[in-house]
Amino acid sequence: MSAYYRNNGYEEEPDYPDYSGSRNQMQGYLKTQEYPGSLNNSAFSKTRRNPYSADSRTSPDYPRSLAEPDYPGSLSNPDYPGIRDDPYSASSRRHPGYPRTLAEPDYPGSQNNPDYPGTRSNPYAAGFRRSPDYPTSLAKPDAFWSNPYHPYSSKGPDYSESQRNPDFAGSGSSGNYVGSRTNPDYPGFLGEPDYPGAQGNAYHPGPGASSNYLGSGRNGGHAGSRIKPSIDTLGEPDYPGAENPSYAPHFLEKPDYPGAEDYQNSPNFGGEPDYPDAEDGRDYGSSKTPEMPRELLSRTSSVHHGRVSPVSLLTRQNEEYPENIEMQSIEMANPYGHSDNGYVNPAYVDESIPGPTYGNSPSGGDWFKSPQGQKLIASLIPMTSRDRIKAIRNQPRTMEEKRKLRRMVDKEKSKQSRRIFELNCCSQCLNSISLAYRRSKNILSELLSSVSLWQKTLKIIGGKFGTSVLSYFNFLRWLLKFNVISFIVTFSFVTIPQFTVGGNNTFPFTGLEFFTGADYFTDTVMYYGFYTNSTIQHRSGGTSYNMQLAYIFTVAACLIICFFSLLFSMARYFRNNFINPHIYSRGIAKLIFCWDFTITHEKAVKLKQKNLSTEIKENLSEILQENGKLTLSQHLTRLSVHLAAWVVSTGMATACCAAVYYLAENNLEFLKSQKNPGATLLLPFVVSCINLAVPRFYSMFGLVEHYEIPRQEVYVLLIRNIFLKISIIGILCYYWLNIVAPADEKCWETVIGQEIYRLLLMDFVFSLADSFLGEFLRRVIGTRFITSLGLQEFDIARNVLELIYAQTLVWIGTFFCPLLPFIQMITLFIMFYVKNISLRMNFQPPSKAWRASQMMTFFIFLLFFPSFTGVLSTMAITIWRLKPSANCGPFRGLPFFIYSIYGWIDSLSNSPSYTWVVWIYQNLIGSVHFFFILTLIVLIITYLYWQITEGRKVMIKLLHEQIINEGKDKMFLIEKLSKLQDTDKRANPSSLTPERTDVEEPGPLYGREHEAAHDLRFRRSVQEHSPKA
Amino acid sequence: MGNKQTVFTHEQLEEYQDCTFFTRKEIMRLFYRYQDLAPQLVPLDYTSCPDVKVPYELIGTMPELKDNPFRQRIAQVFSEDGDGHMTLDNFLDMFSVMSEMAPRDLKAYYAFKIYDFNNDDYICMWDLEQTVTKLTRGELSAEEVSLVCEKVLDEADGDHDGRLSLEDFQNMILRAPDFLSTFHIRI
Repeated sequence: MSAYYRNNGYEEEPDYPDYSGSRNQMQGYLKTQEYPGSLNNSAFSKTRRNPYSADSRTSPDYPRSLAEPDYPGSLSNPDYPGIRDDPYSASSRRHPGYPRTLAEPDYPGSQNNPDYPGTRSNPYAAGFRRSPDYPTSLAKPDAFWSNPYHPYSSKGPDYSESQRNPDFAGSGSSGNYVGSRTNPDYPGFLGEPDYPGAQGNAYHPGPGASSNYLGSGRNGGHAGSRIKPSIDTLGEPDYPGAENPSYAPHFLEKPDYPGAEDYQNSPNFGGEPDYPDAEDGRDYGSSKTPEMPRELLSRTSSVHHGRVSPVSLLTRQNEEYPENIEMQSIEMANPYGHSDNGYVNPAYVDESIPGPTYGNSPSGGDWFKSPQGQKLIASLIPMTSRDRIKAIRNQPRTMEEKRKLRRMVDKEKSKQSRRIFELNCCSQCLNSISLAYRRSKNILSELLSSVSLWQKTLKIIGGKFGTSVLSYFNFLRWLLKFNVISFIVTFSFVTIPQFTVGGNNTFPFTGLEFFTGADYFTDTVMYYGFYTNSTIQHRSGGTSYNMQLAYIFTVAACLIICFFSLLFSMARYFRNNFINPHIYSRGIAKLIFCWDFTITHEKAVKLKQKNLSTEIKENLSEILQENGKLTLSQHLTRLSVHLAAWVVSTGMATACCAAVYYLAENNLEFLKSQKNPGATLLLPFVVSCINLAVPRFYSMFGLVEHYEIPRQEVYVLLIRNIFLKISIIGILCYYWLNIVAPADEKCWETVIGQEIYRLLLMDFVFSLADSFLGEFLRRVIGTRFITSLGLQEFDIARNVLELIYAQTLVWIGTFFCPLLPFIQMITLFIMFYVKNISLRMNFQPPSKAWRASQMMTFFIFLLFFPSFTGVLSTMAITIWRLKPSANCGPFRGLPFFIYSIYGWIDSLSNSPSYTWVVWIYQNLIGSVHFFFILTLIVLIITYLYWQITEGRKVMIKLLHEQIINEGKDKMFLIEKLSKLQDTDKRANPSSLTPERTDVEEPGPLYGREHEAAHDLRFRRSVQEHSPKA
Repeated sequence: MGNKQTVFTHEQLEEYQDCTFFTRKEIMRLFYRYQDLAPQLVPLDYTSCPDVKVPYELIGTMPELKDNPFRQRIAQVFSEDGDGHMTLDNFLDMFSVMSEMAPRDLKAYYAFKIYDFNNDDYICMWDLEQTVTKLTRGELSAEEVSLVCEKVLDEADGDHDGRLSLEDFQNMILRAPDFLSTFHIRI
């Protein structure tokens, strides 16, 4: 078949540059055929005949030849495998032994080898090319390819078969073996120069019988070149060729002619054809043939060029080998590529496929052709472009390999799609749409990333203080984004419509309003009370805007957005950080392998290293002392200390709450009695004082309580703090909803809004003061007066809790003061810079390895659980249970806030086009049954998932045990293997050559297997995790 | 835009985008960072894919790497020949893996390579000792170092073959939630 392809190809495209050459060769052939009369011819004819018979004979022989290591050629055999593994020069690099082996057999073997390539082994071109041993290899394949056509066509199937076997079978090996087999012959030759032709033929025949023609043809390019020298060498036996000549003369002489013609094309060659060969060897891996040394060196370049010209296309391709590989690998699916180069390609393909299959080292340049690479490509093709890019990105490969992979997959894909959907314009449309979508997404992500704030500042902070402190700033930034979104929503749907209505403000502006948030601001868009309850309609008949609905829906939308973004980010953090919490160990390993690569500041790095070493020391001492258990009395004292600390802290929190409650209860009367507007600041001031002082007191407990695990201490501290803050907020909420709201104030919603504004502002002022004064003073004291204190560390937990507290207030206040997110936005913005400056001036990097990401998860959880859910319940009580004030705000006159919705539904039920909304409301949102069923379903799903995770846990356990068992198995097998090897060595320590091949071969093989396994392992793990994700 | 066009072709940029975790802008920024390392060496025109390598001596001076105890290993792992000299591709590769977006497994794979000092695909005792000395600046005594290494092997060696394979390492990394955020170099 292959022969056909070739022929076809040949005929189809006579224009090929090669063809000129080949034609020349043809002529050469013709000539050779004419020459039969010459002395050699007689031999020739015989040889020719023999070949066929020999073919059949020889082909079975090949295997045998393999088996016979005695032949010098056998030496070369090992080369082949090795070479094949690393098709490129790589092999030469890795196995320097091979060249040597060649060199040893030298004259007989080595020469023969080159000959073979020239004549017979060309088919195996692959092998040759790869094998640096065979200098001619490169050139020959070309010649070979071009020449064979004639023989094939003229002589018929025998040839093709004989040759094919080696070629297409991809049995580069068999080819080699042939070489190996023949090698022995040659030596024989040498001994009996008379027979050369006969012998040569006899053996060659298989390949060589044809090889006369073929060979000559092949030689045409290079073999021919060599032949010439060989002829020369006849006179001078020094040349390696000298031996070759022995047989060469007979049939080779004829080939010379073709060769000569070729050479005419390439002047360089003409003179000394040997050299080209030698060069080849050199180029493709240090020519090991010692025979053609100096001249080659000097001429390499010229010859190279020379060679290119005669064998133009083919050689060129050879030189461009790497690219060829790409191309062909793409075409591998149809190895005998229908492309014009078909006949060339198949050879490459043949060669290239087996090569990588052996040697698909992941590090190698051509792992694509490995079965794994193929599998990967095949798996990539059906993916959507997004998944594909993701998969390619996640490959642990170099950029070059990824790029090739991408191109290959793209090509394959386009080929497929062309084949399948050639006429389907719909799919084209889809393709272009998906491409456009991808592009626009890229642009969008670029835009978003360009918006991302404080990239540089964060980098500096991370570089100086590590990830843990960075997490605080990330949290701050995250909250800021949150507030920006809330602000945009409320501003655009509530505030802007209100602006269009307007309203006059009678209060004078003094400046104190910034702190109290009262008076002037009372009648602005800041507060609930200012908003109208009317339906805004500017032109009669134009679209109308119902302020009531807008207000309630906007606030609801804000909360829903917050809810979902919280939920999703919480889920993401949980997934990332609690993948396997139940196998959490003390983790000295984590200390070692989790070096913080974000740290770039020199001092910080040194400090971190110091801290790390102390931590490791502590850890070690802990491990060493682990056995020494605490005595009972120690246990008791420790327990009692904890208990006392808890009692004190909760007592303190309750005391604070009581104080706030008392203050709040009397606040209204107090405010009425006081004319000074500053009096309103009393409550916020007290609350802020508590928030400032008590947490510091709490952290002092740490001096008394000695927790074994620092993390435990942090958690305890967090719990106490959050308890304090949330209960204070709870008391305040109680005060607002139960005392302020029913108190028949003029506009109680606005009053609450103002209170929250003041609390928020006071909190902000306190934080500022704390940063500028408290932390600054602490530094001065620590560095000037009590130097033993040193610089303090940034208290992440406390700072984050402050943020959470403020955010909770903002959520509660959004209903009463729609612009509160805007205020929080500003305060957060300022806080970032203040904290940043304070951090750089007053703090040192944390000494403990702080589980930053776990903390982050915990913070977000805290933000969600007590904080946000608390806000939701407060809002629910407000909307369902409280009566809006009668004279202000969008809901004036309604018995409850929720009645605005009821009214809306009622009005909708009158218009037939909205019946579906009414239906949804009545049957889903307003229906108890629906929620009952929904809850049931959710519970069932939760239960199922819980069961699944339980099952997975068991599975993980089993798999873990399996890993351990397999490790044991591996060790056992390795031991056994090494024992066997030892005994083997002892048994026959003298066998030299086989041993060497034994030793050398397994080396690369093992390495490759190893690497492949490695590669496989990685991918398997990726696969394992992808479904989870 | 004009600049982009001259440095890379559209296809090149797209390829880089598909092969890394970066946006176009970040790629350009990284390119200029790369170019700044050796302005004489690196051309401003990459459309013809010039074969340029910036030597490790220059790579190591980047502020992101300068003080990193593992800088040499990082450069070696990501360079083609393991000598630390980097082409632009290697450079982008490195920061892509170290970027925020890279998945845990990819990061773990390269972290493993970084800690595998002798490139034998296993983190053996010797590798661990190297790591510990680099991490602690030699503040631990030899016994302490070997004790730490033993403990690490004890903890992480799943198949008890006395060295950490990639799976062992990945398994351990799974239990270290901070790994994702710490194996990260900001650009």
